[in-house]
Amino acid sequence: MMKRLMIAAFAATIGLVASACGGSSEKLYLFNWIYYIPEDVIEDFSKETGIQVIVDSYASNEEMYNKIVGGGDGYDIVVPSGDYVSIMIAEGLLEPIDTSRLANYGNLDPAAVARIGFDPGNRYSVPFMMAAAGVSVNRTKVSGYEHSWSVFDRSDLGGRMTMLDDMREVLGAALKSLGYSVNDPDPAHIEEACRVVERWKPNLVKFDAESFAKSFASGEFWVVQGYAENVFIEYPEARRAEVDFFFPKEGMPMYMDSFCVLRGAKNVERAYAFIDYMLRPDVAARVADYLMLPSPNVPARALMKVEPNYDFDDLARGEFKEDLGREALKLYNDAWRRIRVGN
Amino acid sequence: MSRPAARKRSSFSRSVFVGTIVFLSLPLLVLVLYSFNESKSGAWTGFSVKWYVKLFTDSPQLWRAFGNSAVVALASAFVATVIGTLGAVAVNWYRFRLRKYLRTLTFMPMILPEIIIGVSLLVFFSGIGLRLSLFTVFVAHVSFNLPFVFLLVLARLEEFDFSIIEAARDLGASDGQTLLRVILPISAPGIISGFLTAVTLSLEDFVITFFVTGPGATTLPLYVYSAIRFGVSPVINALSVVMILGTVLLTWSTRNFLKYIAAK
Repeated sequence: MMKRLMIAAFAATIGLVASACGGSSEKLYLFNWIYYIPEDVIEDFSKETGIQVIVDSYASNEEMYNKIVGGGDGYDIVVPSGDYVSIMIAEGLLEPIDTSRLANYGNLDPAAVARIGFDPGNRYSVPFMMAAAGVSVNRTKVSGYEHSWSVFDRSDLGGRMTMLDDMREVLGAALKSLGYSVNDPDPAHIEEACRVVERWKPNLVKFDAESFAKSFASGEFWVVQGYAENVFIEYPEARRAEVDFFFPKEGMPMYMDSFCVLRGAKNVERAYAFIDYMLRPDVAARVADYLMLPSPNVPARALMKVEPNYDFDDLARGEFKEDLGREALKLYNDAWRRIRVGN
Repeated sequence: MSRPAARKRSSFSRSVFVGTIVFLSLPLLVLVLYSFNESKSGAWTGFSVKWYVKLFTDSPQLWRAFGNSAVVALASAFVATVIGTLGAVAVNWYRFRLRKYLRTLTFMPMILPEIIIGVSLLVFFSGIGLRLSLFTVFVAHVSFNLPFVFLLVLARLEEFDFSIIEAARDLGASDGQTLLRVILPISAPGIISGFLTAVTLSLEDFVITFFVTGPGATTLPLYVYSAIRFGVSPVINALSVVMILGTVLLTWSTRNFLKYIAAK
């Protein structure tokens, strides 16, 4: 009885292990943001090329970075945001990319590529998606506001507004409202921005990057800072016209997520094939449709079936978040801690 | 065992208990309800099973994570059960030096905060140059499953009569025969519940797995964690309902199975 049970358990285990390790040997390891590339897009790539893509997901740049540094090598492609691209270049974690080997590289909007400061000339990174957090206002509850960061100064909306729990986004908004760069290293300017946020803080319910969209959709919060895709995914489709999503006229912090090949990647050729596939207009259009974001891929824009949440030109006011460097980062951290803890 | 004489049923203690159970089950009820919601958002717009359809037909990454979890849970529980059972037999019957310390040491992973085990395993793996993969997750899970199996089997062994083993030896059974024919069948309920506990613990572990996972080794809890950062997808709700049903079914069949074993 016992013996048979043991044998059965053992056989089941071996079978499961074998099935997990089996499959084609042509593999590509992708470490990507969760819900960033629709799964059928990746499946189609496998069908076309015979390369099996093993995808693992992360929810923040910090999580990805710590995994790579902490011994999680073995991935071929990662998709960091701009500031992390420059950090990873500086630490020698990335393999140079020869963009001339990517037939579809020319599809990228030259104007957008020209603004990249985190990897000038794109020697290590290939732009994928570009977006920014904006402000969403519930039109049925709030009126008489400007498309400006000053909306957070309105104390009559106290208890109905949230901003992201994200140092760079909130301080970036404050810096922009003062007319400075979102990457400003000047201690006096950072101090000024800190005071702006402290002025906004009494009007805010909280700093929240996770559940604010649910409360915004239910009508509890009226003005929220956040990413369009997070807000609209929760909002009932039929009542979408109630939401006024805008980028403040003063400008805003903006990000670019890019494909990078990790140093020591085993499947560099396949990584090139995958990145080139993602730059193809039809594929880029499917991704942009899925995210409901404007695409930095010029020919893809004509192929999109879904109306994006905003136009690509709206991002012209944005400024890429760059790596701040050690000293400025410390000032930002100090300011953010003072804001969060309140002393 | 003695039981206190039956008293009048206390309506206070009963209502506290019932109230607590209801309160604890309410979130599950909400979850089940929303898995049938037509819209993605929090508002109820209509009944639909489309999230179940998406779960079963169009979520390959989720199922790959589920597969990883199943492989690790079964394999690590199996290995932990074998080692834990042998360890319990050794500690219970054989007298050797440092026996007491060994026993205490076995409980360490159970008492220590998970995060410390996770960090120390990560440091250890990178120290010996072992690349993070599904194998390191498996090793980590064996290490935290071991004390539970050990404890459950030990509890079973401690309460049974040593004279049965003496009788087996008197009747001419060898060491191996005693182990296979006498000790193992008697401790079977302990071994099986140890194995099932190990499977459960392994399936739900997040913290330790988070540290030691590598390329292609995302388990279900890790997948769900990164997924909910972008709002709870109804597919996750549907998955949870399927898992609740699976757990209920498994518990029910295990109970019957254990009763069957005990009756034999």
